Amino acid sequence: MYKYILRRFLIFIPMLFIVTVVVFTMATLAPGDPLTGEVLDPTVDPEVVEQRREALGLNDPPPVQYMNWLSEISQGNLGDSLHYSGRTVEELIMSRAPNTVYLAAFSLFITIVIGVPLGMYSARKQYTPVDYTATVFGFFGLAVPNFFFALIAVYVFSFQLGLFPPQGTISQPGLTGIDAFLDRLHHLVMPGITLGLASTAIYMRYTRSEMLDVMGQDFIRTARAKGMGEQNVLYKHTLRNALIPLITLLGFEFGTLLSGAVVTEAVFSFPGLGQLFLTGIQNQDFPLIMGINLIIAVTVLVGNLLADIMYAVVDPRIRYD
Amino acid sequence: MKRKRLGYSTVAALSAGLVLAACGDVNDENFENDNAGNNDVNNEADNNDNEDEENDDADEGEAQEGGNATVAMYSTPEHQFNPIYYTSSYDNNIIEFAYESLFAQDEELEFYNELAEDWEMNDDQTEMTVELRDDVTWHDGEEFTADDVVFTYTMIASPEYIGVRQDYVDDLVGYEEFSAGDTDEFEGVRAEDDHTVVFEWEEPTVTPQYDTGYYIIPEHVFEDADAGEIEEHPASTDPEEIVGTGPFQMAEYEEGDYYFLEKYEDYWGGEPNLDSVTWEVIDQSVMTGLLDSGDIDAVFEPDGIEPVDLDTVEAMDNINMYQPQDLGYQYMGFKLAHRPSEDVENAVYDVDNYETNEKLEDPRVRQAIAYGVDREAMVEGLIHGSGQVLHAPFPEASWAYDEDAPVKYEYNVEQAQELMEEAGYEDVTDDGYYEDPDGEEYTLNLEYPTGNEPRERAATVIEQNLEEVGIRVDVQSPREFDAHATRVEEDEPDMDLYLMGWSLASGDPDPSAIFGAEAAYNYPRWYSEESEQLMEEATQAPDAFDQEYRQEKYAEWAEHVSEELPMLFLWSMENNFAYTDRLGGVTENPVNMYKNTHEWYVTEE
Repeated sequence: MYKYILRRFLIFIPMLFIVTVVVFTMATLAPGDPLTGEVLDPTVDPEVVEQRREALGLNDPPPVQYMNWLSEISQGNLGDSLHYSGRTVEELIMSRAPNTVYLAAFSLFITIVIGVPLGMYSARKQYTPVDYTATVFGFFGLAVPNFFFALIAVYVFSFQLGLFPPQGTISQPGLTGIDAFLDRLHHLVMPGITLGLASTAIYMRYTRSEMLDVMGQDFIRTARAKGMGEQNVLYKHTLRNALIPLITLLGFEFGTLLSGAVVTEAVFSFPGLGQLFLTGIQNQDFPLIMGINLIIAVTVLVGNLLADIMYAVVDPRIRYD
Repeated sequence: MKRKRLGYSTVAALSAGLVLAACGDVNDENFENDNAGNNDVNNEADNNDNEDEENDDADEGEAQEGGNATVAMYSTPEHQFNPIYYTSSYDNNIIEFAYESLFAQDEELEFYNELAEDWEMNDDQTEMTVELRDDVTWHDGEEFTADDVVFTYTMIASPEYIGVRQDYVDDLVGYEEFSAGDTDEFEGVRAEDDHTVVFEWEEPTVTPQYDTGYYIIPEHVFEDADAGEIEEHPASTDPEEIVGTGPFQMAEYEEGDYYFLEKYEDYWGGEPNLDSVTWEVIDQSVMTGLLDSGDIDAVFEPDGIEPVDLDTVEAMDNINMYQPQDLGYQYMGFKLAHRPSEDVENAVYDVDNYETNEKLEDPRVRQAIAYGVDREAMVEGLIHGSGQVLHAPFPEASWAYDEDAPVKYEYNVEQAQELMEEAGYEDVTDDGYYEDPDGEEYTLNLEYPTGNEPRERAATVIEQNLEEVGIRVDVQSPREFDAHATRVEEDEPDMDLYLMGWSLASGDPDPSAIFGAEAAYNYPRWYSEESEQLMEEATQAPDAFDQEYRQEKYAEWAEHVSEELPMLFLWSMENNFAYTDRLGGVTENPVNMYKNTHEWYVTEE
């Protein structure tokens, strides 16, 4: 097992390398650089901008720039942001990461707490009104774009009903302790649901079909035949066997959450990594783009590794040597 | 609130024949205690002073104390809050409340004293002696002195400085030597005594208050850092560490969410009325909702209300609109010449090497195009009427603006055709398009960038308008803004027409940075001796100390530029600043809505 994990970690290195090369190439292929905007201020001498460009190494050929970035990384630095003058990429990421982690955790929580039980229930009560309702909800969740749902939610729940705050992470400065926590939670509800909507629908559909699939199998019939209680059949045998594909989904979920956060955070002015990433792209701040990308890549890889390890936990037949 | 109430209550109490024991040396806390202990008496007193206050308020223009005003912006500041390094207007939102300069500009863009008390120029107009206010303190209690001014200007001139504000220092004496690192002393600015600063220029200057009107940063905070290190200094990047002289200071923030500024009680202009100002970062899509619900009190610079939301906001009954001209404008540039590729490579701007673009050489052709483009219709159709056709590059609010000076080209297809024919263009092939005077096919290439919707659509309008005149325009597919800007800058040989934006100079109206023959930003590569001469005369000492003289010169120049047409000015937008009835005391200023914020107040419903 440990050997397996170690081997997986070693494979990470070339994968991350490829990811960074691809992202870097795309980032530098785009015309212009972070200083282009500054050129358009008539009080700024273009020569000054050119000097700055030279000093930042933006005039170096892309492979040289990439190597410079790589050498920073090998020293454990993510480099200095080009757009946010005077700040390092680490600092920027650290200032935003907690918000995204809260958001992702909240939305994952909703996904699992709503999606899985709903799927189970639909599977048990197949072709009942509840099942149909859940199915409609599932298609709705999958079909409605994030940003659209977000705008509708803001209109209805914030402006019409006044239930949830439309923007930000906290309503007023100076809150401490439990008040601050509840206030933050209150602000998480709408972005969290928006972000989790599609995944909740997917989880529900998967759970339902997997459960139905397993329920039709011989060993379930055997279990029922030997007089096992319905609860036992459902939770101990059916659910456990239906979980495997869900775990695979969970592995990918981290990446989905981070990328979905870009849109959701923008609409709710939620200052997390997604919003930071968007600003980075808009301003061609390649150290920042690379830094966040690296984090997303690592998260996805680790997420998948965790999923693989979980297989073995859930299904003892799977072993890694 | 407290202090004011105290005064009235004391009067009320005394007039009621009550002498409070602590009356001789009451302070705020004592009064609160008394208040709690003498409910009956003070209730009456309170009633009285409410009335008093209302009366008094009416006289003072309803100034009330306390409360919080919430202002909205659509993007997150970059957290470079040091005035000498910031570049984003979102960071400037915070800087405006916290920092100040020696001189500021009023509604007519005229300079007035802010941190300066008085100033005078020597007879040569090369030396300016500024006397500073002596009642100014930094947010941390330190006194503001001449050394802070010297420090600020020295930092910008330093060899280690890596920002872009050299414009303010590069004409001062000794800049070249100092910024090259040849000397340790910057001669251009020195402290005479604690509250007197002397600035000295190489050449006589006509814009002393502009040059010396940059934000001042505190020496005692940054003294251990060199000019380069200041960029990363905590007092530059951590909002809570900001130390300025302005009426508000940063108290708390959540990056990208809100920035909470508290009043600076010892502000030299008087204690601010508001207890606090909160900047909220919101998405533009929910702005109207928040304004309507009263969650935000104002949307000012740099965003304002988007033209599409204008009708909604104007329909709200609790909103004040202030719509000054925006300094940004859109134009269609005529590439009158291209630089040879060699010069482009070496960043050389030499009029002698400019290669004339024959297609646009004749000013009558440019005038014909000006007549042939329906700019009124663009303003109505493309920007919802939220702006106006621009005729010369001076802001309306500026003293340099003269409505009657420039030629105004009203949309007129026949006049356009007449001018084309006068210039020798003729439709030889009878296909509805003019051939050039040599009988060759005549097509103008138009390039434009993505990213500004009205501008993108303007390209099509121009194509159709000119087609009607009989001028064939080949509109290329739009490019990413950065790519487009590079092609314009580098004088792409095939380019005849291009769309782009500029901003009108707000500091000083001198247009030479954009229209000077050898200025890098002179993208049309326009060269006119008359223009050069007028621009020089307008800034030449000693005549140019007289603003009226400059005004005349700029009027002449505006006329000249409108006849020569190096570019066709399309439109300037209007800013749509909105604030609720709850917020008062706002100084409406076309270039800066954040002046005199200590006078802002809110009325509680």
